[in-house]
Amino acid sequence: MMIKKLLFKNQDRKQLLLAAIGALLGMTFLITSAHFLYRINEFGEGSDVLGSNILVVQRKVTSASSFNLSKNDFIQEEIDEIANLPFVDKVQAVKSNNFRVWLETNSDMVPPFKTDAFIQSINKEFVDVHAKEWEWNQKSKVLPIIMPRDFVVMLNTFMSSAGIPQITDEVATSIPFKLRISGPKGEEWLDARIIGFTNEISALLVPMEFLDYANKKYAENQAGKTTQLIIKGKEGQFGSLEDYMSKKGLEPKKAQLIVGRLKSIISTMIVIVFIVSIIAVISSSIVLLQYMQLLLSQNSYEVKTLLRIGYSPLFISRIFAQYFSVVFALSLLAAFALFFLVKWWINDILQVGGIYLDQNFSFIAVIILPVSFITFIGFGTITARKNVMKLFNK
Amino acid sequence: MNITFDCVLPDPLADYSHHPQSLWNNTHSIEQGENILVNAASGKGKTTFTHILAGLRHDYSGKIRFNSTDISQFTIPEWLSVRQKKLSFVFQDLQLLPSLTCEENVLLNTNLKGGVTVDQLIEWSAHLGIDKKWKEKVGVMSMGQQQRLAILRALSQPFEFVILDEPFSHLDEKNSQLAFELIEKRCTELSAGYIFTTLDPTDKIPFNKEIKL
Repeated sequence: MMIKKLLFKNQDRKQLLLAAIGALLGMTFLITSAHFLYRINEFGEGSDVLGSNILVVQRKVTSASSFNLSKNDFIQEEIDEIANLPFVDKVQAVKSNNFRVWLETNSDMVPPFKTDAFIQSINKEFVDVHAKEWEWNQKSKVLPIIMPRDFVVMLNTFMSSAGIPQITDEVATSIPFKLRISGPKGEEWLDARIIGFTNEISALLVPMEFLDYANKKYAENQAGKTTQLIIKGKEGQFGSLEDYMSKKGLEPKKAQLIVGRLKSIISTMIVIVFIVSIIAVISSSIVLLQYMQLLLSQNSYEVKTLLRIGYSPLFISRIFAQYFSVVFALSLLAAFALFFLVKWWINDILQVGGIYLDQNFSFIAVIILPVSFITFIGFGTITARKNVMKLFNK
Repeated sequence: MNITFDCVLPDPLADYSHHPQSLWNNTHSIEQGENILVNAASGKGKTTFTHILAGLRHDYSGKIRFNSTDISQFTIPEWLSVRQKKLSFVFQDLQLLPSLTCEENVLLNTNLKGGVTVDQLIEWSAHLGIDKKWKEKVGVMSMGQQQRLAILRALSQPFEFVILDEPFSHLDEKNSQLAFELIEKRCTELSAGYIFTTLDPTDKIPFNKEIKL
């Protein structure tokens, strides 16, 4: 107590307060930007069974194509050309049904619901679900299907009008469905189960084996035109793919582009804020450490006297390091409290814009606190020790 | 603890001529419990001598040994041990902490090293005539009072030698006598010795050995 009174009582607290406020603001920006960078990157992932960097494209629909005056399908040479582009990882024609399909609920949990449907199929490597789930053969009891997310919206609208509580993705996957397929050669009923959702395709997705089987068995003409391609772009080369599509008159689903662009713009902005925050935190920490040096030099007589009467330099440097660690810890706690408010405010703004991010504290926001604290303690201890040692035996 | 000096010569005094029996550039030893008087005129190196023994100056040639260990090889823990248990100092510039009270200045020492009760400290302060200043800040005390407090602080810790650098320079004869009584009593109690520097050849300090500079 006496030593703390001796070393810290007569100081210019204004400078200490300014340095602490600097650390508080820097840390608030750092935690906030790291948290939102993580959450924005996470946005949309996991909820869609089609992996990232995947676009489903078709030719631009024009008045000419509507009257069959220009072509709207793809030939194999065009598919091969796209496959060989340096920024394209994989490409595949999206296959469609050439027979009639109906989907209906088959459960007492939900009221009867029936709709005409349109099914398409893509290869396993484009689907981000467990490979075993995405399998079908003629002995399979249940047909796995991937639903367009719009279907859940439609189902919930229907539930709402029937006075039934709306359903979540999890509940939707537990509802048994029946799929009826029919063609000139007959009809068949199959049990179906939803295994995932996608925003990218507006048709029901089924395994390729099933579509091949059903087209062969029930289709009126088997050789359908390829009007849609699914393309997996290489990581970070979204811009090149977008340029190519624009030149070739291809268009992806609008939502995909908007989300891709938004994520890209917001992430870039947050990365800039993140870098500025790191600079701010480093600067304010340096100011705090420099203030420690100033305090040590202002108290050099007192420190020298303590050393001369036998106090250990480690003991004295620890007192300085502890004092500034407490100041930094208080700034950190205040920054976390401020981050809590800022997070709530930003989430509110994003929700108004229709972007629903995970509301929980991200792992990175929580881990930044101890990492920053330990780093500061490390530098604080080194600075204090170095400066006190200079006064030993003087 | 024995202290031996082997051809020690501080660099700043290298070009000066010294007394034939001077400590500088000669071999001398101080035995455990001896009382030493270092009597020399200004500029002969009394404070340098004190500071070298305290480990505050290293600008000298030759060797000083505490028992058989060369002090130039001392590590930080060894110096801490010397300062806490072996040597106690009254520096010429006193090295008190003016923003603390008399009591706090002494307690900073005894809290670290122990050995003396608060009652004993108060009794000593009464003997030295500074008991009424016990709770006052050192910064407002006279030089004479500060000098007595520095002596009290030095005596409050365990030691084998107390090294006093012109400790009575601001004291009248009566207060010098009272202070010396306390130094002698405490040294006897601890079977310790004192090393006393003075520039006054008429100082009546009893000694076993006189060292010239």
